[in-house]
Amino acid sequence: MVSVSAPYIYVCTRMRVRKAKLLPREEYMRMLNMSIPEITRFIEESQYKQEIDELGTAFNGINLIEVALSWNLAKEYQKIQEIAPGALKKFTQAYLRRWDIQNVLTILRGKAQGVKSGKIKEILIPAGSLDIKELDRFLAEESNDRIIDLLKMHRMYPVLAQGYPSAKETGSFSQLENDLYKQFYEEIIRDARSGSIKGGASFLAYIQLEIDIRNAKTLFRLRADSTEEDVRDLFVPGGTLTVNDFASLNAIKDQNEFIDQLKANARTEALRALLEELKGQKSIRDIEVRLTRVQLEQMERMSKRNPFSIHPVLVYLEKKKYEVFNLRALARGKESKLPSEKIAEYLVI
Amino acid sequence: MALRDIKPTRSELINLKRKIQLSERGYKILKMKRDGLIMEFFKILGNAKDARGELLRRYERSVEMMALANTVEGAIGVKSAAFSVKEVPTITLKSKNIMGVVVPQIDSSKVKKSLVDRGYGVLGTSPVIDDTASSFEELVESIIESAEIETTMKRLLDEIEKTKRRVNALEFKVIPELTEARDFIKMRLDEMEREELFRMKRIKARSTS
Repeated sequence: MVSVSAPYIYVCTRMRVRKAKLLPREEYMRMLNMSIPEITRFIEESQYKQEIDELGTAFNGINLIEVALSWNLAKEYQKIQEIAPGALKKFTQAYLRRWDIQNVLTILRGKAQGVKSGKIKEILIPAGSLDIKELDRFLAEESNDRIIDLLKMHRMYPVLAQGYPSAKETGSFSQLENDLYKQFYEEIIRDARSGSIKGGASFLAYIQLEIDIRNAKTLFRLRADSTEEDVRDLFVPGGTLTVNDFASLNAIKDQNEFIDQLKANARTEALRALLEELKGQKSIRDIEVRLTRVQLEQMERMSKRNPFSIHPVLVYLEKKKYEVFNLRALARGKESKLPSEKIAEYLVI
Repeated sequence: MALRDIKPTRSELINLKRKIQLSERGYKILKMKRDGLIMEFFKILGNAKDARGELLRRYERSVEMMALANTVEGAIGVKSAAFSVKEVPTITLKSKNIMGVVVPQIDSSKVKKSLVDRGYGVLGTSPVIDDTASSFEELVESIIESAEIETTMKRLLDEIEKTKRRVNALEFKVIPELTEARDFIKMRLDEMEREELFRMKRIKARSTS
């Protein structure tokens, strides 16, 4: 029998309890039939009350709901980073570093465009290792070069220092953004593979699943866009399929043949079944939502197989993210007067 | 022009005849120009209707896509992706001549971009952003196309109106007045000739008696 330390059991159990408290499918179905004031009241009376009260003076209406949801997510993620012990903490922090990339890029882009700091701050979600104080410090800086200097101790720095001059010159941060995400995956794979941390194998399994799904989504997007350029650079290495595999899959012109090839390389039964369903499917947005659902199902399965590992934490992080995503989608969708059926298509339940 | 102001002289008559000839020629040419402009206008009207229809269709799609992007990515995600776009589409304004009317010809820089060239990273965004960006790029293209066609139409309309006024002025004012003046001078000259003849006869009769 494998011995598991008490803090691991404690945190994994807490994650399961927190996950059980997330909104169930029936609540979303009920909310689809609610009006905006009803949805607003529902959110105000739930766990998001504190953020709604705090931000009530700065925002109003639908923006208040969206910002409150994002801040609650950030706060929850920060809390989990605090309570996670040992390797779980390290993996959780590594996993949440993607929010740092998003925040830093938003600040750099906003500053490059001459957007006021207050406006940039409204769209930051401090859910990663950079908390709001640090982000505020970046916002107070006059130039992007100074912001990059302030990030010298951060893992992002080498890629930022290398990629920023060309981004500044061309005015496009896309290459830098892709490089930062690739570096992010490269580092978490390296962390997971280094035998020094217990539980690395199960973390690696999840990361590889995420990379595969991310690359599959990119592949479908590129095909929808009919991009002719060399797209190797847009895939993340480290998954079960190599970048070359994805590049050659992208070269297949016939959609059904391409899906058959992708299916032959898929590791999980759920993914194979989904790919079979996607034959003849045209909407790329629908494909993306369905791939996300498969990813979550797969994560759930992994977390049941490894109940005292990083998986219960990651499943909770992802499910919490999608709860916020779904509530925001419901509120925004209702505000835009989208039909309930259309909103339901985009919910990740 | 009041008839009393006209000098009933031969040179004035010749002058008036010349003016009438010129006015009639101008009238014919302007009438042809007006008809030609109207034909051009109707030709462009078809294109303008199509362009306006397409513009409205694309606008509705863009609004719908923005609503969808706000639903899926939230205003935060949409704003964050919007920060990526730095390049503003530029237009080069040239002009072309349609029957003497100078109309604009707009050449724009490529508005529609591929996924790779849009400025946001593929790994940090979702397809709904692609679709929204693409629908707005198409909308901008439609706006540029409509701007060209509708400005052409507006200029043609102004010119038609101007030409119509000139044709009417020539047909109902200038030519009738000149003709009246010519007839008046002719009548006065004839009268003067008759008076002269009568006077000569009276002198001849007096001198013979």
